[in-house]
Amino acid sequence: MNRRVLVLAEPEGDGVTEVSHELLAAAFRLAGDGGPVSAVLPTPDASASMAAAETLGGAEVLLVEGPAHDGRTGEETAAAVRAAVEVTAADLVLLPHTATGWDAAPLLAARLETAVLTGVSSLQWSEDGLTAERQAFQGKFVHEVGTKRLPAVATVERGAFPARPAGSAAQVRTLASPLSLERRRSRLLEIRDAASEGVDLAASDVVVSAGRGMGGPEHLHLVEELASALGGAVGASRAVTDAGWLPHDRQIGSSGVTVAPKLYVACGISGAIQHLVGMRGSRFVVAVNKDPDAPIFGAADVGVVADVKDILPALTRALTGADG
Amino acid sequence: MNAVALVKQVPDRNSVFRPAGPWIDESSLGYGINDYDRYAVEAALELREAGAVKQAVVVTAGPDEASQAIRTCLAMGMDRGIHLVCPRASLADPFRVAKALAGVVRAQDAGIVLAGLLAEDSGHGQVGGLVAGLLDMSWASAVTAVRFRDGKLEVERELESSRVAVVELELPAVVAVQTGANTPRYASLRGIMASRRKPVERIEPPELANPDSCDARIRSLRLAKPERAASAEILEGAPDDVAAALIPRIRSGAGIVLGGGAS
Ligand SMILES: Cc1cc2nc3c(=O)[nH]c(=O)nc-3n(C[C@H](O)[C@H](O)[C@H](O)COP(=O)(O)OP(=O)(O)OC[C@H]3O[C@@H](n4cnc5c(N)ncnc54)[C@H](O)[C@@H]3O)c2cc1C
Ligand SMILES: Nc1ncnc2c1ncn2[C@@H]1O[C@H](COP(=O)(O)O)[C@@H](O)[C@H]1O
Repeated sequence: MNRRVLVLAEPEGDGVTEVSHELLAAAFRLAGDGGPVSAVLPTPDASASMAAAETLGGAEVLLVEGPAHDGRTGEETAAAVRAAVEVTAADLVLLPHTATGWDAAPLLAARLETAVLTGVSSLQWSEDGLTAERQAFQGKFVHEVGTKRLPAVATVERGAFPARPAGSAAQVRTLASPLSLERRRSRLLEIRDAASEGVDLAASDVVVSAGRGMGGPEHLHLVEELASALGGAVGASRAVTDAGWLPHDRQIGSSGVTVAPKLYVACGISGAIQHLVGMRGSRFVVAVNKDPDAPIFGAADVGVVADVKDILPALTRALTGADG
Repeated sequence: MNAVALVKQVPDRNSVFRPAGPWIDESSLGYGINDYDRYAVEAALELREAGAVKQAVVVTAGPDEASQAIRTCLAMGMDRGIHLVCPRASLADPFRVAKALAGVVRAQDAGIVLAGLLAEDSGHGQVGGLVAGLLDMSWASAVTAVRFRDGKLEVERELESSRVAVVELELPAVVAVQTGANTPRYASLRGIMASRRKPVERIEPPELANPDSCDARIRSLRLAKPERAASAEILEGAPDDVAAALIPRIRSGAGIVLGGGAS
């Protein structure tokens, strides 16, 4: 059975984002037998987006053009995708599980009177709809969900599908956007870089990171002492920087710094995917967590199931020979 | 014009969770306010204190026990609460939850609706956006700052790679608040006393009455521990023994020179 799959292609530079090519790979797999795959690319100027469209190998590309598509708000993206759903009669719409998808997918779903399968890492057709795997409880569990409602909307986790190589599009069409400047109710004013002092985390051979499991700022000296015994820098999870225990420039993860040290020590960090993407490139990972089911152990070479307040001082002692 | 905060009661994150078929066994868990929603409540309170809105209203959908979440928000300073009473299992489908929430939000003269970015348990990250779509309100997710300016809302949104988008939203607007957006307050003793006199409206929305309704858009099929591709070597035992076992592994695995007593 052939199913029609539509993906969002996000313009970036002269092409589209890497995740757009990943969505295309997922779409071709789900469309079966080379079934129709379409890509929608919202743009203020279709002629300027031709080159980007031509990288979407094998897809029928719809350039949804209009002056309101200058900022990629959820409203703009949802309106463009909605228009493309109508033209293509898609059974399934794939968006990236990124800031773009978080913003656009629920608006689109509300219009289609359905819910979104968010953050999916796999998708399959079932007899009466679609099933998907995603994470629940911040990565502690795999959650299998299903929907019978078509068209279905899903946001796909980055890296879940290997990107489809760029190639020429099957066809490129231009569509006038239904969203006008007058009707638009949200508007991008500017994009700027968040100020970051950048303690030299990214350059350190050793990073020792504190998580909420450290229990409070009064225990962070344990992390600092271990980092200094290992000759490394101190990093943190978002829970720690949000709580103000450490400054924001120490945060490692999708909304912080990406590190790839020779040694990464995670202390009281659960291992949510947004943290893991920031440290997955580390050569050797040690995780200390009192919960044997913590997802961080899935990303570690050595796991210690224990209280950080016991293990950290013992390790620091052993490294410095403090107890002779 | 009021501010409405959407708050979900979720299991304490330090609980031991046991998968049971499509979801976890919820029979013996403690519950609290979804962490993200504490930031939404704080943002609502700050807007009221700045005089930008008249009242700060908290809305929750959940079983009888979820009234505790409302009480906590009232103790933090919210003015009144609305409790959509329903079986916990009815919360599994974000579309129906959003529809019920949208139904009550519509009547609150809401200039701004503040949701959390994500529920810590189900983690769908969409109920706020669905409410916005259903009510045709403007919307932004992953919001780290909100301010009113010239009759509009100006928000900052977190993007990838440490970038921030500044977005202008016409009112009324729904925003999903990201953690770290502010510093959520704790309930004071006075706040707790005052909360007892604050009104809470109870509503039993028909669309959430039956957890097994065929109207559900998303069904929970199975919850399981993830299979781990590369399983870590697990060390347990007395701290000093574990430390002694760790050092040679770090030296060879990471390929770094360790100083001091490590040799
Ligand atoms: C859009 C978005 C972007 C995000 N960006 C980032 C990011 O860049 N970086 C990031 O880190 N997170 C990010 N997050 C948040 C992420 O999802 C998690 O909430 C966060 O990483 C949790 O931090 P944590 O592991 O320290 O805390 P928790 O998840 O609360 O984990 C604490 C851990 O400590 C353990 N523990 C408790 N006490 C002890 C003890 N005494 N000894 C040993 N172990 C103990 C517990 O078992 C638990 O596993 C983002 C989320 C979203 C939605
Ligand atoms: N049962 C509920 N009652 C009130 N608000 C909710 C409920 N479920 C979700 N929300 C709101 O929607 C946000 C996102 O939830 P979710 O889409 O389930 O991850 C939460 O942070 C809450 O603000």
